[in-house]
Amino acid sequence: MFGLYDDEEILLKAVKEARDKHLDIDNVYSPFPIHGLDPLLGLSESRLHQAGFVYGAIGTLTAFLFMTWVFTRDWPIIFGGKPYWSVPAFIPITFELTVLFASIGMVVTFYAVNGQGPGVTNPVLDDRITDDKFCLSFDVTDSDEGVDSLKAFLKESGASEIRTKEI
Amino acid sequence: MNQFTFENRERTILIAFMILGVVCLGVTYLVDDAYHTRFWSNFLHNSVFVTGIGFLALFFLCASIIAFSGWHVVFKRVWEAYSQFIIVGLGLMIVVVAGLWMHSHHLYHWADPTAVESDPILKHKSSFLNPMTYTLMTILIVGVWYFFARKIRSLSLEEEEVSKFDFEIHKKKTRVWAAIFLPLAGFSSAAVIWQWVMSVDAHWYSTLFAWYCTISWFVTMLCVTVLTLIYLKGKGYYEQVTPDHLHDLGKYIFGFSIFWTYLWFSQYMLIWYGNIGEETIYFKMRREDYPVIFYANLVINFVLPFFILLRNDTKRKTGSMAFISVVLILGHWLDYFLMIKPGVMHTLHEMSGHGHSSADHAEEAHHTAADVSGHAGDAAAHGDQVAEALVGFTYPGLLELGTFLGFAALFAYIFLNHLSKAPLVPERDPYIDESLHHHVV
Repeated sequence: MFGLYDDEEILLKAVKEARDKHLDIDNVYSPFPIHGLDPLLGLSESRLHQAGFVYGAIGTLTAFLFMTWVFTRDWPIIFGGKPYWSVPAFIPITFELTVLFASIGMVVTFYAVNGQGPGVTNPVLDDRITDDKFCLSFDVTDSDEGVDSLKAFLKESGASEIRTKEI
Repeated sequence: MNQFTFENRERTILIAFMILGVVCLGVTYLVDDAYHTRFWSNFLHNSVFVTGIGFLALFFLCASIIAFSGWHVVFKRVWEAYSQFIIVGLGLMIVVVAGLWMHSHHLYHWADPTAVESDPILKHKSSFLNPMTYTLMTILIVGVWYFFARKIRSLSLEEEEVSKFDFEIHKKKTRVWAAIFLPLAGFSSAAVIWQWVMSVDAHWYSTLFAWYCTISWFVTMLCVTVLTLIYLKGKGYYEQVTPDHLHDLGKYIFGFSIFWTYLWFSQYMLIWYGNIGEETIYFKMRREDYPVIFYANLVINFVLPFFILLRNDTKRKTGSMAFISVVLILGHWLDYFLMIKPGVMHTLHEMSGHGHSSADHAEEAHHTAADVSGHAGDAAAHGDQVAEALVGFTYPGLLELGTFLGFAALFAYIFLNHLSKAPLVPERDPYIDESLHHHVV
């Protein structure tokens, strides 16, 4: 069951009330990021950037160690009279690979964590939540008795439309 | 509290530090060699350093105005106050200029007519590197900066007078003046950096150098801002400045520390790759005679801010921000130390007749005409000299530190004085609301 709101301010207030009443919010949909929504929903900070740091560090090591191996062990070539192990020359490539690993790693992680990817279909509650509507949804599969009170709550909190949809 | 009062106690402390600085300069002058090289190089080093902070405050203020940026508006008076220091910086640089004309210092190899006469490279550069150009550029450029600092400040105060929000002044005047200043500032700062700092190594040049110096100033300016805000908040002012503003300053410090490293490394790597004698001498001198400062420079100005400011929460906390700001101010001061001292030492070496005498030079120049090989010989001759560790030249001593504190106190005194002359939070800036409701997470 979900309620559609016309304005993000009304939605924020509704989310706050729902949290105060300890209602079990399933999800909130919005066409754009809303300031202050995350702390209201009690979401913890994303750990994606920590993963990003690890990927970056792996990229740094991969690039640096690989070049070290290539230019000192596998195929030593003298470039411009420089020593085989020329650290300054490795830095730009090391930097690039750090960025590449961090960005690709983070994208892949993001999709994996969110169950996204090619071929995945996303059931959409209402097409307008990607346009001008803000949606607050509850899961009512198991709790038949709560449906009426939830409906009342959504109505009271200013939802312009309340619907139920099976997905 | 919207009106900052410059308490007598603060004045006394700052004046005490200024006296300490003057005493340190005086002692340096007395214990110095015949050319007073240590005194003059300390004077130049600190003058350039503090003047740059004032200039970058103005530059960033104008850039923010042009970018329609609003987050900084709540504390923009701090930057306005910094920029008023430029006139004092001009005064300090005029002392260097006066010393140049009276031949009381030998900071610049190109200022010595006999050396220029016998040196094809200096002769070639003499249309730009000569006392007259140095004087005119310094006075004209820093004068123009000060004019704009006054202009932006007075427009900002004029805005305060209107009864309700009025975009007219901002749109028609402030933005126009800021837009005029930006290109002027971009080119003129490079010119004075070439004159003031890069020409210390008169034979050497680098295209990147001006940006690299400017970013060093910029990071310092941001760190000084952080310390100022933390201090003023501690005294009960600026309760409108939140961790969100600190967070944005932290992001700027983080980003521009990396940018500083990028420029430092770009300059280093190209010179390393090219391996041309007249270019590599710059890093050869610094790496061999200043091994500790050379690598410490990178650790302090890149590794520390990178790892300390990488996380979100360290950018929002007063303690970690104050710590990294102090570290970076000292780090960039050391960076300037490393830009100026080796070149000055080199010039001193030539002046006092060691290493490469001017007679040698003349002969060499004769043999090789205006060819660079004359200079390659120069590089080789100086590569051999191993500078013994010398306090004040190869590493900063207590006198340098005292001088720096004196200059820092002078800067603080001037800007706090200007800060006390206007309300701290501009009520009528068109962007003030955005700044008061600034949220970044």
